[in-house]
Amino acid sequence: MTTAVVDRAVQRPTATRAPLGRLLRSELRLVLRRPRTLVVLGLLALVPVVAGVGIAIAADSGALGAEGPNGGGMASLVEGNGLLLPVFSLVIAMTMLLPLVGAMLSADALAGEAANGTLRGLLVAPVGRARLLAVKAFGVAAVTLLAVLLMTVTGTVAGVVLLGGDGMLTISGTTLPFGAGLGRVLLFAALVTFQVWALAAVALAVSAMTEHPLVVVAVALGLVIVSGVLNAIPALDWLTPALITTSWGDLPDVISDPMPTGNLVEGVLRGGCYLVIGYSLALSRMLTRDG
Amino acid sequence: MTGTPGQEGVAAADAAATPLAARTRGLRKVYRGTVAVDNVDLDVPTGAVMGMLGPNGSGKTTTIRMLLGLVTPTRGEIELLGHALPDGAARALPEVGALVEGPGFHPFLSGTENLLRVAAAEPHLTGAGTPAAVRAAVERVGLAHAANRRYRGYSLGMKQRLGLAAALLVPRRLVVLDEPTNGLDPAGTREIRSIMADLHAEGTTVVVSSHLLAEVEATCTHVAVLNQGTVVAQGDLRDLLDAGTASLLVSTPEVESAVDALRDSRIPARSTAEGIRVDLTATTAPEVVATLVRAGVPVHEVRRQRTGLEDLFARLTTAADPDMDDLLVPQETR
Repeated sequence: MTTAVVDRAVQRPTATRAPLGRLLRSELRLVLRRPRTLVVLGLLALVPVVAGVGIAIAADSGALGAEGPNGGGMASLVEGNGLLLPVFSLVIAMTMLLPLVGAMLSADALAGEAANGTLRGLLVAPVGRARLLAVKAFGVAAVTLLAVLLMTVTGTVAGVVLLGGDGMLTISGTTLPFGAGLGRVLLFAALVTFQVWALAAVALAVSAMTEHPLVVVAVALGLVIVSGVLNAIPALDWLTPALITTSWGDLPDVISDPMPTGNLVEGVLRGGCYLVIGYSLALSRMLTRDG
Repeated sequence: MTGTPGQEGVAAADAAATPLAARTRGLRKVYRGTVAVDNVDLDVPTGAVMGMLGPNGSGKTTTIRMLLGLVTPTRGEIELLGHALPDGAARALPEVGALVEGPGFHPFLSGTENLLRVAAAEPHLTGAGTPAAVRAAVERVGLAHAANRRYRGYSLGMKQRLGLAAALLVPRRLVVLDEPTNGLDPAGTREIRSIMADLHAEGTTVVVSSHLLAEVEATCTHVAVLNQGTVVAQGDLRDLLDAGTASLLVSTPEVESAVDALRDSRIPARSTAEGIRVDLTATTAPEVVATLVRAGVPVHEVRRQRTGLEDLFARLTTAADPDMDDLLVPQETR
């Protein structure tokens, strides 16, 4: 016990905060060590593989062709056109899985830490409140990006291996060379990531207000569902520009040729608005929150 | 402030001799219309072991959370290690170790991994010095054998130790422990006491909250008694122990006539389960006995009793929380 005391000299006696890089690394390590993060990342990585296998089997048995030229929708387009598999998978995941991941990460970031009792440890350390929010936002954003990239990579590999194809057949019927096709896939992944970030920012604001992670997930998914419902009601089309999911359906514009950028840019701006609103709310709540 | 003669003098002397490690003035916290803490003026002298004593819900934890900047007071001032909060929090808090409201850790990480996570946020640690600091802290709280097991599988006592280890990761000027012996067995309680004694010997100021009087009497140099959100007494522990008025315990079969006789002679007395308790502030023991004999009351036994902090605490808090009777066993109820 005495030797332990001798060893314990203050090493940075004048420092008032821990180095940012160390906090970010620690946060990433924490999120990536959390069992449910790993399970969710693993399942997401499997989505394109399962979809690819399914499409390959369906193509072998001729099921897709039987429905006519457009019968299988996007799935039929993917047949023999491997580079579309990651896009197809991300479109499927964007309906519920990826928003769920963003919401879950945000829920664990603040509400989960508060419920654990670990948030006050960070506040007393001290990690400044704005800084803590920045670290948390970074953790959520980085792992969201990782999830989307993971799907993109397994989707591309599974697509090329299972479905083949040395170029990308676009929705417009033209064929892009492999390199340009890959570029489109990455652009699609980036835009999807940004939309999930926007939702995760709103979820983070909720996360800063509660200590029940479930509330965060419920609110975020509720927002997605309600937005979808409101979007589907023609009488409420004046609401459309304000809804978070409005641009999500425009994302497949990326695989048109030539690419119509109007809706995509609008989508990025809309997502940016939600991002700013979400982080602002989160910050204002974080600064006054009782730890 | 009740019944603490000389306290002003002590406080003044302390202020001149030693600066305060923590100081609050007029602290008030209202949670949605409920006043949790009101008008708390707390003085924690540097180097003291200050026990915050009070029943559950008396405002101990709220006060501690305000001291640590976790909660913003509705009104009042806080000075921590010479820095005014909240602006000076970044300067003061790195030198403060805290275990508040029970240990909080990630269940899926081991004890060591949890401490590494805490260490990453400690301004005073370098990355290179972190593993040694974590090892030292784990050894200090006697958790070395379980350091690599998952926190999920820890017993309550092990969790409490890990919380203490986190508070002691870095040498501190002030250590704040909220009910540190909760869930510990007697051996664990002794170890915590010995760690607190070590901290005291190193010159670290310790603030420890407890609802157990024996614990405060065993470990603290100073005490602040809280009741219903306010400080009802504070100061040097010995002064407070001595400050209680002496009393006399009289056993007699004729309780009512005895109390009547004493009250007729303007001697404060009340009947308790043990006998009649007579306040000796304004009178002496022979006079009490003489009064009783004059009135013809048979007296079996007369015992002189000094009211310790226990009695003070019991008097202050019995009515507040019925559960306390079980914990405290104040003389009145036995």
